[in-house]
Amino acid sequence: MERSKVKQSEKEAPVGSDASLNGHCEGGRAKVAKWKDAPGEACSPSSSKQTSSVMESWKEERTRSVEDNEMSLPSIAAAYTTILRGLGEDPQRQGLLKTPWRAATAMQFFTKGYQEKIIDVLNDAIFDEDHDEMVIVKDIDMFSMCEHHLVPIFGRVHIGYLPNKRVLGLSKLARIVEIYSRRLQVQERLTKQIAVAITEALQPAGVGVVIEATHMCMVMRGVQKMNSKTVTSTMLGVFREDPKTRDEFLTLIRS
Amino acid sequence: MEYQSSADMNGVCSSKLVTEYLCRNGFGELTIESKKLPVQDQSETSRKKAEDESRLPALEAAYTTILRGLGENTERQGLLRTPLRAAKAMQFLTKGYHETIYDILNDAIFDEDHDEMVIVKDIDMFSLCEHHLVPFFGKVHIGYLPSKKVVGLSKLARIVEIYSRRLQVQERLTKQIAMAISEALQPAGVAVVIEAAHMCMVMRGVQKMNSRTVTSTMLGVFREDPKTREEFLALSKNS
Repeated sequence: MERSKVKQSEKEAPVGSDASLNGHCEGGRAKVAKWKDAPGEACSPSSSKQTSSVMESWKEERTRSVEDNEMSLPSIAAAYTTILRGLGEDPQRQGLLKTPWRAATAMQFFTKGYQEKIIDVLNDAIFDEDHDEMVIVKDIDMFSMCEHHLVPIFGRVHIGYLPNKRVLGLSKLARIVEIYSRRLQVQERLTKQIAVAITEALQPAGVGVVIEATHMCMVMRGVQKMNSKTVTSTMLGVFREDPKTRDEFLTLIRS
Repeated sequence: MEYQSSADMNGVCSSKLVTEYLCRNGFGELTIESKKLPVQDQSETSRKKAEDESRLPALEAAYTTILRGLGENTERQGLLRTPLRAAKAMQFLTKGYHETIYDILNDAIFDEDHDEMVIVKDIDMFSLCEHHLVPFFGKVHIGYLPSKKVVGLSKLARIVEIYSRRLQVQERLTKQIAMAISEALQPAGVAVVIEAAHMCMVMRGVQKMNSRTVTSTMLGVFREDPKTREEFLALSKNS
């Protein structure tokens, strides 16, 4: 039912009408909406039944396809030509001749997170290991786009989790970061989406995600503070409950 | 050799011709002849502040199209005013088109009997790649050997601002800064070095995080005399 609704809205207005990109679900996806809209909730390890319904909703995630990209490229390129003219530049001069196309393709690359599904990335690489010590992957370079000014954000992500019999392939943590960061984002939401994705996939005892980033919208314009960095974190499970665990995580990512 | 004047608006079509300079003998003499006076007409800017306001709706509409084309929902809370913000941000990032060297420099040139090197280094620079419309940023180091005329130090940073806040190519930016200083002060020599990171290489394409692009322009004695050049490079290096 949900699926046909989504498909229908896709047919009527192929792009832009669907509210599900970047996890803003206005539709009936209760599970997904729940953990994305509730800011303070700790995610307790869910039952397998709940998991499968979350995984189901991940399967239904609307993604942009390569065909969508090709179809929308001309209109995006035309929009960039308008922008160049509006800025007072001459789109016919040599350096700018193909810029609308290059800029459009670049922007599609910067939002390629919309083309990918968590389920594709994760389904294969979850392993049963008898490991219950903290696993940390730190200094993951992250590049995103500020959804308010369409200007880059870049920084580093540090992820730690306490497995509960199931571990994740390490590069998959970086891939989760890629999927969510290559979108129009707000740093707070990005941090939470990464943490929640890991929680839902693995049901670990706890997850901690810290992002430290530089926002070009603050550096290049506006207040113009060159050296400012924004740090956000999401702590779930034992990372939230137990200060010592949290301390261990924060110490290890700092060293 | 001919060089486009530094006052050339990056190829923007303006009806008034920009001056041309002929530099003979590989700068052996640094005789710079101008075909026209270097004085630029005040109305030469192709983009005035009032124009910005009137162009905003078109830019906004373009950004809305882009957001929809990327598959986003332009009605969601976070994106409601994004086209306006993005349009204003883009106008700010290209505000160098508003300004001319004439406005900035005419006041702050002083006669000083100083003929030693003057260096202003580590000037933060932010610009936009004209090929991908993605930022590139870094530091600019400027040195010049005055010939009886010195310029207010912040004016060097302002020259960097004027030329960098445009759709640029790093090579052209470096040369424009050097030419502007040459033209304004007629010093014995000018040196400009820019080291920048290009987001178009870091965030996309080859994705090389730590790559930096270094370009330089050496005019006058900085080009002729290796020792002068060395002195500048040594002094502007960060220890």
